[in-house]
Amino acid sequence: MGIGFIDILQSLIDGILFGSIYALIGLGFTLIFGAMEKLNMAYAASSIGGAYVGLGIATLFSLPLVLIFFIGPIAAGLLSILVYLVSFRLIPASNHLGSLMASIGALFFIDEVIIHETQGSPLTFPELGIFSEAYFMLGDLGFRGDLIFIMIFGLVSMGVIIYLLYYTRLGLATRAVSQQNIAARLCGIPIHATNISTFVLAGILGGFAGCLAAASVGVISPLLTIPITIKGLVAAVIGGLGSIRGAIIAGLLIGGVENFFLLVRGVNERDIYVFLLLFVFLVLRPNGLFGNEISRD
Amino acid sequence: MFSKLKKLKLATLAFATVIAGGAVADTIKIAGWGAKSGPLRSFGVNSEAIIKAAIDRVNETGGVKLADGSMAKMSYDYYDSACNPEQAITIARKVASETDALIGIGPTCSGVAAALFGIFQKKVGDSSDTGLQMPLLTDTAVRNGLAQISQWTFRNTPNEPDMYDKLFAWLRKTHPEIKTIYGGTETDQGHSAGTYSIVIVQAAIRHGFEWVNGPIDEVTGKIGEGRANVLKSSSNWLMADTNFSVQARAFKKSGADLFIVSSHPFTTCGFLKELGRMKAMPKMMVGLTSSSSAETLKGCPKQAEGMIIPTSFAPITPAAKEVAALAAANGGAADLHSAAAWENVMIIKDVIEAVGITGDPSKVKEERAKIRDGLEALETTEGLIGKVTRVQDQGEALKPFVFVHAQNGNWEVLHDPRN
Repeated sequence: MGIGFIDILQSLIDGILFGSIYALIGLGFTLIFGAMEKLNMAYAASSIGGAYVGLGIATLFSLPLVLIFFIGPIAAGLLSILVYLVSFRLIPASNHLGSLMASIGALFFIDEVIIHETQGSPLTFPELGIFSEAYFMLGDLGFRGDLIFIMIFGLVSMGVIIYLLYYTRLGLATRAVSQQNIAARLCGIPIHATNISTFVLAGILGGFAGCLAAASVGVISPLLTIPITIKGLVAAVIGGLGSIRGAIIAGLLIGGVENFFLLVRGVNERDIYVFLLLFVFLVLRPNGLFGNEISRD
Repeated sequence: MFSKLKKLKLATLAFATVIAGGAVADTIKIAGWGAKSGPLRSFGVNSEAIIKAAIDRVNETGGVKLADGSMAKMSYDYYDSACNPEQAITIARKVASETDALIGIGPTCSGVAAALFGIFQKKVGDSSDTGLQMPLLTDTAVRNGLAQISQWTFRNTPNEPDMYDKLFAWLRKTHPEIKTIYGGTETDQGHSAGTYSIVIVQAAIRHGFEWVNGPIDEVTGKIGEGRANVLKSSSNWLMADTNFSVQARAFKKSGADLFIVSSHPFTTCGFLKELGRMKAMPKMMVGLTSSSSAETLKGCPKQAEGMIIPTSFAPITPAAKEVAALAAANGGAADLHSAAAWENVMIIKDVIEAVGITGDPSKVKEERAKIRDGLEALETTEGLIGKVTRVQDQGEALKPFVFVHAQNGNWEVLHDPRN
């Protein structure tokens, strides 16, 4: 079967739409990095963990499945507090490597807890109702309704986060802590409370992302954690660590690139090109698409 | 089970053991290991649940008869090898050198088995080979031909080339309207990709099904032929993938009558859901043996409806039904992989009784060798759904099997090729 122009266009559309998941996870990475200049590697694991908790509670108490999309983000927010306390609060602020390693530990810990509770089996996850049924055709091109919903959700999330960061007292405090944490403390800003707020905000966002990722596949599995962590991180770096719009745009870009090379080069080469893109950015534009300028030695 | 000559040899061996005397144990130890953490944790959980049930059954019925005629209980320790070759090798070395376990059951994952079997002595009695000298009887790890790596390793796992050969022969006969095929697999999973590209596609071609885009170079139907070209001609994914739009579109575009989906439950379900969204479900689907488990039907019962898979376990006999119930009672599930663990414990019991084991810790080395010899001498064993034939020079089994299909959230028998 030959690859036609429509196939290429369709793969780009599918990829960009699916890239919304990477964008949402990248947004969480960048939010925490923007606030603390540290990477929380357990972020995607908390997000998927939240989705599992939501599914578990809804199943256990026979709640309407739509509630998973509310319980999941709350659970992910609470998990994020736990990750903050264990991997960041208890480790000296100057020990960046310590926090990074602790958060990697938290990633595998959360993943393994999920595996032990579910025996590693994939579980059916409720799809997005009318959105998952919807499949729009525009000529020969198809558009998945649920992925369009996720993309719109990502864009709205970006707007909400920008509003929170630039137009609220919490945002002012977060930016102050991020820019000059000693001065912020002298001004009476509670550093840890501010950091926890950022983690909770990112966690809730991640919980939505986790639920939406699982809903888009229709199945949830601990196998989701590592690929989403990696692609989300790549999105945050290409977008420019700390840049909210950068994470969104880079997430969509990665989705498109990934799917395009899947079509033309096959699954075994697909990720080579995604990481090649990361490499190109790190060498030629180390501050990413919209990140703060990083000087090279 | 044993030929007359072999029975005589084994009886002589048992008699010699009693005459020679020595301490007799009240417990016979075996060791098990498999994935109890990581994404394939269900393998180890199911296997251990069934080993426990089988050993409980042996002990409830008096235990295992030793060389002097006394009865001993069986006990087991189960270790987590996490579907990780290094971890499994460490466990095997520890079990072989630090415990009195007479035989091992494990390591559940095919990739791990391929690496692990390599540290066992290749040829019995080869003094230049210091590999482990402890018999291992494997369940679950199904990839074709692994037991031949060492003469100490034996498997009681399904024979996929035989299963898919019979399946496609039957499909050819019963569904002449199905003519063209197309498929895909997880290329990063040895069992999924290996069975797909070496066994399944060739079996289909052998029985007259046509690859939808024209013949694949070098693929004539002979097992293993043109393997790389099979993978190149297919639309594949990886085990942790979540986006299947490109692959599902390729399947849809192929317009084939029959889709072959050779992957584990998580991606099988993700992929089938994408096919469903694109309204691209084919007339018929054939799946990988590993997908005939509860996980697939937990993940996507609606989309898997109708999928046909050959399997060496289905609760179709009283014994199989009982083991399925016991597995569930022990927190596991009986499927084509794990049910073999029950058979393995019963095989071990029979072999111990046939070769005359004392359980004396000071004779561990020689009794391990005796059990190995006993395993090698087996011609048939009792399986849960019928007699199992041993392929003696290869350490492998030819297990009976049935064809099941997903119906209303259950795997139901579609055809029993033994009838």
